[in-house]
Amino acid sequence: MSNLFVEDVSVGYSGSPIIEGLSVSVPDQKITTIIGPNGCGKSTLLKAIARILKTDKGAVFLDGKAIHQLSTKKIAKRMAILPQSSEVPSGLTIFELVSYGRFPHQGGFGGLNLEDLKQIDWAIQVTGLSEFKDRSVEALSGGQRQRVWIAMALAQDTDILILDEPTTYLDLAHQLDILLLLEKLNIEEKRTIIMVLHDLNHASRFSHNMIAMKGGEIIKEGSPSKVMTYSTIQTVFEIDVNLTTCPFSHNPIFHSYQLSRDTQQLFENANEG
Amino acid sequence: MIPNKYAPEYLQRRNKRNILVIFIISLLILLMLIISMNTGHIRLSPLELFETFLGEGTDRQRLILFQFRLPRIVLSVLVGMALAVSGCILQGISRNALADPGILGINAGAGLAVVLFISFFPSTTEAPVFLLPFVALLGSGITAFLIYLLSYKKGEGISPVRLLLTGIAIAAGISAAMIVLTLKLDSETYQFVAIWLAGSIWGSNWRFVLSLLPWILIFIPLVIAKARIIDTLNLGDVRATGLGLAIEKERLLLLGVAVALAGAGVSVSGGIGFVGLIAPHMARQLVGARHQFVIPVSAMLGGLLLLVADTIGRVILQPSEIPAGIVVAIIGAPYFLYLLVKSNT
Repeated sequence: MSNLFVEDVSVGYSGSPIIEGLSVSVPDQKITTIIGPNGCGKSTLLKAIARILKTDKGAVFLDGKAIHQLSTKKIAKRMAILPQSSEVPSGLTIFELVSYGRFPHQGGFGGLNLEDLKQIDWAIQVTGLSEFKDRSVEALSGGQRQRVWIAMALAQDTDILILDEPTTYLDLAHQLDILLLLEKLNIEEKRTIIMVLHDLNHASRFSHNMIAMKGGEIIKEGSPSKVMTYSTIQTVFEIDVNLTTCPFSHNPIFHSYQLSRDTQQLFENANEG
Repeated sequence: MIPNKYAPEYLQRRNKRNILVIFIISLLILLMLIISMNTGHIRLSPLELFETFLGEGTDRQRLILFQFRLPRIVLSVLVGMALAVSGCILQGISRNALADPGILGINAGAGLAVVLFISFFPSTTEAPVFLLPFVALLGSGITAFLIYLLSYKKGEGISPVRLLLTGIAIAAGISAAMIVLTLKLDSETYQFVAIWLAGSIWGSNWRFVLSLLPWILIFIPLVIAKARIIDTLNLGDVRATGLGLAIEKERLLLLGVAVALAGAGVSVSGGIGFVGLIAPHMARQLVGARHQFVIPVSAMLGGLLLLVADTIGRVILQPSEIPAGIVVAIIGAPYFLYLLVKSNT
């Protein structure tokens, strides 16, 4: 059984549910990616899992306990969250910001202890930020900033990482860079990763498990080869894709796509002609 | 506050530099205390001051120093500290650099309570004057509660922007109500209200010092102890929750402390704006973003700023005075504009 699962959850904003009666489990030590069109409820599901949104019905279970019954500090030792927002507080160095990740482990007063420092140093090193660590966070590029936030989450020393569109606003090389880092963390550190991605090819290439959502419901979940099919993508995104195999991961990817209604139009025109 | 032995070397350097900043501001405060003590309608030279402190001076010198000048000086430092730390908290929890007890209407709430109180009780008797601090505190507390209530949305909690907008709206409403009320006062109470609104350090005797001191001694160390929590809140609600902070509870508590400090400060000084806005800004420029330094440095700068303002106000138009609040505004407004221009580029 998985450590983290969602059972019969309804959740939404100010009374209007976006997700109703949804159940899903997140496999341990695997990379799970939630995909779906805008407004399908994928971010809502992610926020419910991360306890940012309170569930109206049902519960998210972590280690067999309902998440809203655990103290928020206790949860913070198990899961770290990277929200979408890109703003950074001014006047902080990278070391300082990453050190904030130690918050759930620190006592009421007191500064950093040796264990905290080790964890911070490791997080900075593994994200490739060692040479910048006394630089101001504001002075960094988008890709480096995202690495700093990941480093902060790593300093938190949790076995679960939750990321909401970690590659948005980054250029192609930096997108890949972040995903390769996450993959490395999953392989070397056995971290469970749950994220939302917009790029289906990235999702397929880097995930063990995919959850395809539409209209607040799960249409399909499972391995990339199970989810990345012509018909599932057509149902979920209303696009028609030309599937092929990724030379790196051997998972299905597509090199181009067409809106489904345009394809239909094409067929109709062909039949008439 | 203690430099961290495990922090990397450059951070320890920064901590050391910050402690040097604290030391320099302390020296400036000390210098300003001496200048302030020997300036006024009757000048006391540094030597005379020293003698008077040792109990050597004349009765007149002792009276001036211990009964008139010193309590006022101490009071202006304490009020400055209270307002600066209040502003520091409000800026921290609302993640808005423009938050300040004046802008959020907390000072105005205290002012309205005072005006109401005075319009019911003539100010000629001694008792109401002594009750004013508590009345002001009640006013600021009710206002803050109202702001919190109006900006709270079920299921979403408090958004920093909504908190600020509600505060500004309430401040405007209270100011309007206050103007209407002052029209109905007799000239003597009107005079007092005008002084109060201009932000004069009017409660210049030891009783007021004693009534304010416990607030400072309890709340400022409490806020410093919560420095890391304010740091974390500064990352935004989602990240703070992710780090395991009970954001609503902590924010409410810190808001309560900010209100208590502003209310207590404003009750003996009148509505002084800008200190709560400027002091934390300057502090951040000097010592960076971490609140373990920002809070104490804000407090010290706030005390220094108000002491300078009150001293200037006392001497510039002798024998009459300009309220410290107006002097602070004259210093503060250009600084504020400078900040706005700088943040645009």
